[in-house]
Amino acid sequence: MAIEVPAKVFRYRPGAAPRHETYRVTVPDDATVIDAIEAVWRQVNTLMFRHACHHASCGACAVRVNGYEKLPCIVPVKEALAGRAEIVVEPLRNFPLIGDLVVDVAGFFQKQAASGMVITREAEATLDGRPYQRSETFDDEGKLGERPYTRFENCIECGICLSACPTMAAADKFFGPAGLAAIYRATRPADGAQNKSLLLALADGEQGVWRCHSAFECTEACPQSVDPAGAIMALRRELIARKLKRLFGARER
Amino acid sequence: MTAPHVIVIGAGSTGAATAHDLALRGLRVTVLERGEVANCTTGRNHCLLHSGGRYCVKDQESAVECIDENLLLRRLMPEALELNDGLFVALTEDDLAFKEQFVEGCERCHIPYREIPAQRALELEPFLNPNVLAAVQVPDGVFEPFRFCLAFLATAKKNGAVVRTYTEVTDLLRSGQSVTGVTIRDHRTGQTETLGADIVVNATGPWAGEIARLGGVEVPVSPTAGVMVTVGKRLTNRVINRLNKPSDGDIVVPQRMTSIIGTTSWTILDPDQIEIPKDHVEKMIQKGRELIPAIQHTAVRGVGAAARPLIRKAGADEREVSRTFECFDHKRDGVEGFVTISGGKTTTARAMAEKVTDMVCAKLGVPAECRTRETPLVSYRLFYM
Amino acid sequence: MAVLRDSKLKRILQWGDVRRRKPGMWAYALNRVTGLGLVVYLYLHLVVLSWLAQGPEAWEAFVALAKTPPFLALDVVLLAGLLIHGLNGLRVTLNGFGIGVRAQKPLFIALMVIAAVASIVGGAAIFFQ
Repeated sequence: MAIEVPAKVFRYRPGAAPRHETYRVTVPDDATVIDAIEAVWRQVNTLMFRHACHHASCGACAVRVNGYEKLPCIVPVKEALAGRAEIVVEPLRNFPLIGDLVVDVAGFFQKQAASGMVITREAEATLDGRPYQRSETFDDEGKLGERPYTRFENCIECGICLSACPTMAAADKFFGPAGLAAIYRATRPADGAQNKSLLLALADGEQGVWRCHSAFECTEACPQSVDPAGAIMALRRELIARKLKRLFGARER
Repeated sequence: MTAPHVIVIGAGSTGAATAHDLALRGLRVTVLERGEVANCTTGRNHCLLHSGGRYCVKDQESAVECIDENLLLRRLMPEALELNDGLFVALTEDDLAFKEQFVEGCERCHIPYREIPAQRALELEPFLNPNVLAAVQVPDGVFEPFRFCLAFLATAKKNGAVVRTYTEVTDLLRSGQSVTGVTIRDHRTGQTETLGADIVVNATGPWAGEIARLGGVEVPVSPTAGVMVTVGKRLTNRVINRLNKPSDGDIVVPQRMTSIIGTTSWTILDPDQIEIPKDHVEKMIQKGRELIPAIQHTAVRGVGAAARPLIRKAGADEREVSRTFECFDHKRDGVEGFVTISGGKTTTARAMAEKVTDMVCAKLGVPAECRTRETPLVSYRLFYM
Repeated sequence: MAVLRDSKLKRILQWGDVRRRKPGMWAYALNRVTGLGLVVYLYLHLVVLSWLAQGPEAWEAFVALAKTPPFLALDVVLLAGLLIHGLNGLRVTLNGFGIGVRAQKPLFIALMVIAAVASIVGGAAIFFQ
């Protein structure tokens, strides 16, 4: 069954004033907002927007839906339209704009790269609460061997937390919730001591954890349970503990 | 003397890997993509780094391609893969009877494998159907298609390639019997421009036929759509496959904290307009449940569909069509300066790129050898930096 | 590549727009508003104290003003502001040391309820003592 969706979409090109345009598209009733955006694109093929996986694992499609940061690929159109005359689709805040819904993520990825976070991590010891046995796995020569299980990190680098963050709004250079959460992840393995000190120094620096003002919007808006606010506070705890230890003469580790 | 200029149309896995190979061999490369990197077929794929097990009985050419590329990709992008192997599980007597052919197929295609008793399989994967009769472990893996493409393109950019996204090819430039470049509309500026090239590579996946027609040639590529249903929990560490002939909904791939069930197959006319049939979605959940009963109680997180570029041989059934790839030098159709690379799967993107780059270099008289096997990829983040 | 950004002013004022935002953001905005309010109050307080230096008549005039209902109402607003800012400030301090982060939302709601109740009780005391 199809439904008609009025979609008010932010349109912009460099050199022209930004504006909102309303389009009417028809989509299946179980469609998601990204389907509606694609339907708009079929009407006006000049619409610039990012998307790839359609199941919230690539982080490309992040936008604001009705003023709030979302991954439109997992927001049902019915939910977005509930009690409203139209769906409003706008780009993320706090990023430079390239065109329409596409933002410039260069600065963001620079911070992510600087954070040292590898995009995969060791998998948990339970699956949805159930413990499991481990077995040997094949390596790149097809030989079996004992090695940890891995999975992709929770963070999909979608930029939603940066859009939601009030500090990010006022300060471009702030490392940002995603970056600080990434530093937290990157400093969890017990090994890698030298790099860990450097990364913690980055977190402790001028643009690090101390610029956060506890709005917690990053954690609220994150679609992937990264809990950047929790990571920032955990980093603060660790940094304070280290400072106290140093105060009482312990060796830097 | 400047190096020849090659235009690659399409920034999915085929275009990305091709740009990387071309740039590595010293050619000047421009990639043209009308949207974001991997925004369609590659972006919405099953994320499965194939061991080749799926094809080792009926499509051994594909199977060998898969296992070779699988082991290679582990060296080229080691930090961007979930490498916990896969299991082919038998749930019925029919599945069990298939095991002998399967194991023989793995042997023939040099796919490493290990047979696992049913009880052990359940210890390894607690959410597996408790009626499992037997399991075979193979080196399946999980990638993330968007970052996969970004890594190849980032490496290509490092070696001098230019990647223009939101730049749509609207026509091919012809001069006599040759393609000499493209006409593009840059959506960022709204401007139309032309871009000359010594060779144009059509790496547009399901649109290969449409782009080929701009050059006055035909390619036998049939857009064949498939649905993926992602549920909101990571229920297995391994890829779980049904031990039988390939069919719909017989693979569940874990990724992060989700599980992706796929896929189906139906021919479509327009890859830009895919209506997702509701019964396909229901079928995925139903088939997924057979492998992992807990799927029944797990909320659906996302549903996506995109069209594979299948190379049609006349009269073949969809599931029987080979998943291998093919390069077309359109010189055979009387058009110079234009090649198409189509078919294949993301797992074999590097091999596809090697083949088409060999073809391009031969046409241009460039003696450079392929070095993509030994060249690790840079971080995907560098694409945007 | 030319890119657009919202003006610096618009981005700095973004914090004030709490529509569709969650409790953590309301806390942030409230703390800023009450903080600014308390700074204004502090200045006014110093102004009033300076009237002491101007002799008994100025002071008596002020005391008369301070007993009027509108002024008493402002006193209640001041009390509320102090309670909100102080209690939420304690929450922010604890969170900033990594304590009680998981409970930040219910903690905020609970503290604001305490602030509201204390303001009402205090308000009654101010008006009816």
